[in-house]
Amino acid sequence: MRKTIFLLLIVLLIVPLTSIVVTSQDDTLVIGFLPGVVDPFYQVMQLGVEAAAADMGVEVVTQIPETWGVQVQTPILDAMIARGDIDYLVIAPTDKDQMIGPLQAAVDAGIRIITVDTFLGDGDYTNGPVTFPISYIGSDNVEGGRISARGLAEAIGGSGKVYINSTNPNVSSVEGRAVGFNEVMDNEYPDIEVVALDFNLDDLNTATTQTAAQLEVHPDLAGIFGTNVFSAQGAGTAVINAGLGGEVQVVAYDATQFAIEQLREGTVSLVLAQKPFDMGYMAVQFAVADAAGVTSLPRRVETGFAIIDIDNVDDPEVARFIYQVP
Amino acid sequence: MISRVWAWAFLGSLIIFFVISVQITTDGRVNFLTIRNSQNILVAITPVLLLGLGQTLVIIGAGIDLSVGWVMSLASVLSALALRAAFNSGLPLFLSVVIGFLAAVVGAGFVGFLNGVIIAKLKVPAFIVTLGSSFIVRGVALLLSENTTVIGLPRGVRNYGNDALIYWIQGEGGGLYFLKRPDVTGDLLRRMNIILPYPVVLTAIVVGIIVFVLRKTQFGRHTYAIGGNLEAALRTGIPVDRHLISLYVLSSVTAGIAGFLSTLRFTAGSAVIGDALLLSSIAAVIIGGVSLFGGAGTVMGTVIGSLIIAVLTTGLVMLNVQAFWQFIVVGTVVILAVLIDQSRDLIIGRMNTG
Amino acid sequence: MEPMLSIKNMVKRFGGLVAVNDVSLDVYPGEVVALLGDNGAGKSTLIKCVSGVYHADEGEVYFEGQLVRFSRPIEARRHGIETIYQDLALANNLDVGSNIFLGREVKKRYLGGLIRTLDNDFMLQQSQMALDSLGIHFPDLTQPIESLSGGQRQAVAIARAVYWDAKLMIMDEPTNNLGVPEQRKVLDTIRTLRERGVPIILISHTLPDIFAVSDRLIVMHRGRKVTEKKISETNTQEIVQYMVGALDDTREQ
Repeated sequence: MRKTIFLLLIVLLIVPLTSIVVTSQDDTLVIGFLPGVVDPFYQVMQLGVEAAAADMGVEVVTQIPETWGVQVQTPILDAMIARGDIDYLVIAPTDKDQMIGPLQAAVDAGIRIITVDTFLGDGDYTNGPVTFPISYIGSDNVEGGRISARGLAEAIGGSGKVYINSTNPNVSSVEGRAVGFNEVMDNEYPDIEVVALDFNLDDLNTATTQTAAQLEVHPDLAGIFGTNVFSAQGAGTAVINAGLGGEVQVVAYDATQFAIEQLREGTVSLVLAQKPFDMGYMAVQFAVADAAGVTSLPRRVETGFAIIDIDNVDDPEVARFIYQVP
Repeated sequence: MISRVWAWAFLGSLIIFFVISVQITTDGRVNFLTIRNSQNILVAITPVLLLGLGQTLVIIGAGIDLSVGWVMSLASVLSALALRAAFNSGLPLFLSVVIGFLAAVVGAGFVGFLNGVIIAKLKVPAFIVTLGSSFIVRGVALLLSENTTVIGLPRGVRNYGNDALIYWIQGEGGGLYFLKRPDVTGDLLRRMNIILPYPVVLTAIVVGIIVFVLRKTQFGRHTYAIGGNLEAALRTGIPVDRHLISLYVLSSVTAGIAGFLSTLRFTAGSAVIGDALLLSSIAAVIIGGVSLFGGAGTVMGTVIGSLIIAVLTTGLVMLNVQAFWQFIVVGTVVILAVLIDQSRDLIIGRMNTG
Repeated sequence: MEPMLSIKNMVKRFGGLVAVNDVSLDVYPGEVVALLGDNGAGKSTLIKCVSGVYHADEGEVYFEGQLVRFSRPIEARRHGIETIYQDLALANNLDVGSNIFLGREVKKRYLGGLIRTLDNDFMLQQSQMALDSLGIHFPDLTQPIESLSGGQRQAVAIARAVYWDAKLMIMDEPTNNLGVPEQRKVLDTIRTLRERGVPIILISHTLPDIFAVSDRLIVMHRGRKVTEKKISETNTQEIVQYMVGALDDTREQ
């Protein structure tokens, strides 16, 4: 009886493994795509990568980490290097410092790097501390923070207390957003006070608990900036929980369908859409161009934003920036 | 039974510490001990506590369940998918929510059943079985979840996850409201206390049931007996295998309820919602005095353990201290808890032999 | 009188080793039969073959006149054969009442049996009676038994067997690791049981104990039964000779 069950378990495990067969042609360009974590933002980016690959006749190998972090991304990166057939790597580094070493190893193995969404070092690949990547293609997160700040300031009428809920320290994207946000509030809105910044370590429950506690300390809180979807979702839930939906304005970074749903429900007042499809498409274009010998590629490309609120959410010109994953 | 006097004392002093320090840092503007904040803390403990409850049962039975966090994530996804499908097929909202609940509990219970069967019948150590199943469950949850988050739930779901039994607006123009959220805005809204949100009520019911089962029923007695001396349990004819399977099913079911509640609260299923909670739940159980060797511990201990963790999170945020400090304090308390229990056992041991 | 337990020509082998070699014995109601021998003489193996832990390779066991074959210890218990091991079958984290009723808890029924709770009061009262009938007294029955002494725990195990109407009791080294006053109490309990007509197989190394409470004794040496004598017909010196193999009734003199 025991033996039969064990045997059955082994068969169940092995059968799906044998169906995975890796194939690769020799002459086509192979591009590795390694985003930060499985989420709609990167999935839309993947659509862009795949669309470009189809248009330009190159092969793409995609690996998506299931959780965010250097410790998860690095082994996948090492495995991609070990394949030996990858010419270009399109990657969103999960830490601007810690990923330098592992990516240097990729460069040493003959792989050319393009970073998307997040960058290495300070993002200046010409004069900065890190110069080996070809380009950084992403949103200017600092600018995104500025736009979010102006949007939130307008929503709360130019005065009051605001609070930032973010994911992790030392991640170039969310860090830049907070920097830009603070800068605008300091310089342009003297009547707005940024009272705190919490890191929820990518945990929805923590984001909610933190926001609930901040609402206790600042019962007159007027607005919240969630630096990514999780943070905004957690913050928005705490606001709803406190019965303050519509009273406390929440700005969400990233236009996932869920964020849009929250916008329609009034949990979130403003959604900032990045353009991940463009990032993915452009990264592949850059790889193909570099392979063709183009040397004048820009080291830094900003893809821009779309701002979505309840008034323009149904406008097709704006709605196309909502992260639609089939 | 090991008493938890010191844990209550610690919780009390923690609250006093936060009351004073929050007063000082905000120049007397903010009070830590308000009705609203107490409710915040109760809401914050529900996921950790629910996972801890199942874990308490399993650990008293001298086992361990490492899969609870991921089972919670799976249950969140399953309940969201079922709820959405039911609603879209034309069922009324309440019935859809019930179907979501059943999907979470049955799906999670199935995982627990498999855990239990492999542990009890095939004699594979619980640590290994539940470690393995946690990976499997995690993969299944991500695969099912359509991009980690299941959206498109009917709007009213949010009310089930966030409404409460009692609403109380203090002061002028206020009043007491039951079951129905008063339609107020502005200043009145800011003064409104939301007392006993439904997730807290449901969690309290689960706590009550498990306290009853452990203290008053044969099932509880056998759980302690199996954890205390497996050999004795076998010799006295307790159906040990069947009992162990039930324990793992119960552990998964409480995790499933936690997943269901998070679906209601966030109006979305999330395949990662429970990922961070396993270690917190075990910490709560240990602070609560459940012995990892089995046979000892109470549900109320786990409740205190969860409360200590939630009070720390909320209090440190209110002090504007980075939440990372929470890990340091919780870790210290876990080790202290076991040290205190051990030294007390030593003293009791000396008294007996002396 | 018909024997309560009758073992006929039992053989148990472990690989090449014959642990029990063609042993037969009878136990009659109301008598204490001592089983003794050096370590490795086969007495524990013999007992485990009776109580369902091991399965004999040859021979039969008759209990109350019927041929029995226990595949698990719990089956032997259901027939009324109780084996008392030091510590082994008690849950130290539970109180006296819980241990006496372990696995056979008494329940109160509510809502037509939908909800059943433990009837702790009843179990406590019955436990008290069972202990009283054996002349055993504890100050507090609601403490976990880990706070009791070894002898007291032994008494709990015996009380449990008595309460559940054991028809035959097997005691494996009941006085080991006990202080002298405790040993005396256990022996008193054995006498009480004997008076009540419960037959006992007593495994022990301690000759004075055996001579104090037994009616008959059986000595084993290297798997074989080398003698069987009434206590009144033998003495310590003779038994020691049997135990070390110097005397052997089965050998041609």
